[in-house]
Amino acid sequence: MDLLTLRDTYLQQRIMLCFNGPISRSLIEEIGHALRNYLNRQSAALSASMDVFAVYIEMTQNIRHYANQQGYDEEQATATIAVARDEAGHYLVSAGNLVEDADGRHLVEAVAGLAGLDAIELKKAYKQQLRRPRDEAAPSGAGLGLIDMARKSSRPLQTSLQPLSSGQSFFSLTATI
Amino acid sequence: MRQDLNLPGSASTPAIQSDWQAGRLSLQGDSYPENSYELFSRVIDWVEAFLERESRPLELSLELVYLNTSSVKAMMDIFDLLEDAHREDRKVGVVWHYDPRNERIAELAEEFREDCTFSFVIRPLEVSA
Repeated sequence: MDLLTLRDTYLQQRIMLCFNGPISRSLIEEIGHALRNYLNRQSAALSASMDVFAVYIEMTQNIRHYANQQGYDEEQATATIAVARDEAGHYLVSAGNLVEDADGRHLVEAVAGLAGLDAIELKKAYKQQLRRPRDEAAPSGAGLGLIDMARKSSRPLQTSLQPLSSGQSFFSLTATI
Repeated sequence: MRQDLNLPGSASTPAIQSDWQAGRLSLQGDSYPENSYELFSRVIDWVEAFLERESRPLELSLELVYLNTSSVKAMMDIFDLLEDAHREDRKVGVVWHYDPRNERIAELAEEFREDCTFSFVIRPLEVSA
């Protein structure tokens, strides 16, 4: 294993915390706990640390829900999560997972749709989504979470969708706190 | 009378206590279970039963710190029940205590309050140093 290359990549991209593997409910809690402790030690403002944690929870729980809904096995239900800090001191929270290509394209569109909304419009969209009946909100699952992340992100959420040889795609989402 | 709730809470679930006699329901801590509906349906059932069978006031005492979006949705369902009761002239109220250093939870509580016409107090906790 070439850990040095891995380490150099982390340093280069200013990654503070990273996880790649099958993600369980308890792992989400454990990593979240580590993340909060780390941010507290960095004496990050409590509001920033709450936002990073909130975005991390929404991202990872969306991935879990999606993998469950698709009936993915452990290997397919793998999540890639990274929290980095950019040169301006913003926290970048990213998560990626395998998706069916059509679902990935739907997500990219949904995020692009939110990018044009200002804070007031996002709040309105959030409250509307909150009032939608549970069953209706369930199919995509990620509706309310995406709007919540968009509200917390100081820049529009960024997505990427890369096709894989398996016929599925790798979807990734980044929020800037 | 209905069996009261007394749930200890965990990393991802709030501690929950209900007191039928006193007409009080309290929740403290973080709330981000994967299946919020499963946890909150018990709370919602308790609130529904209380409002249905009693005519006494009901007060919610909250010290929630962080809620994921599905917990937010569940809390909104509870506040909707209180709102309906209030419109029928029932005395209901919410007091939400928060750590003044955590402005995010105060903002969330404020967004809930915007949609409620009953007494909804958002009160900073006293923090030592």
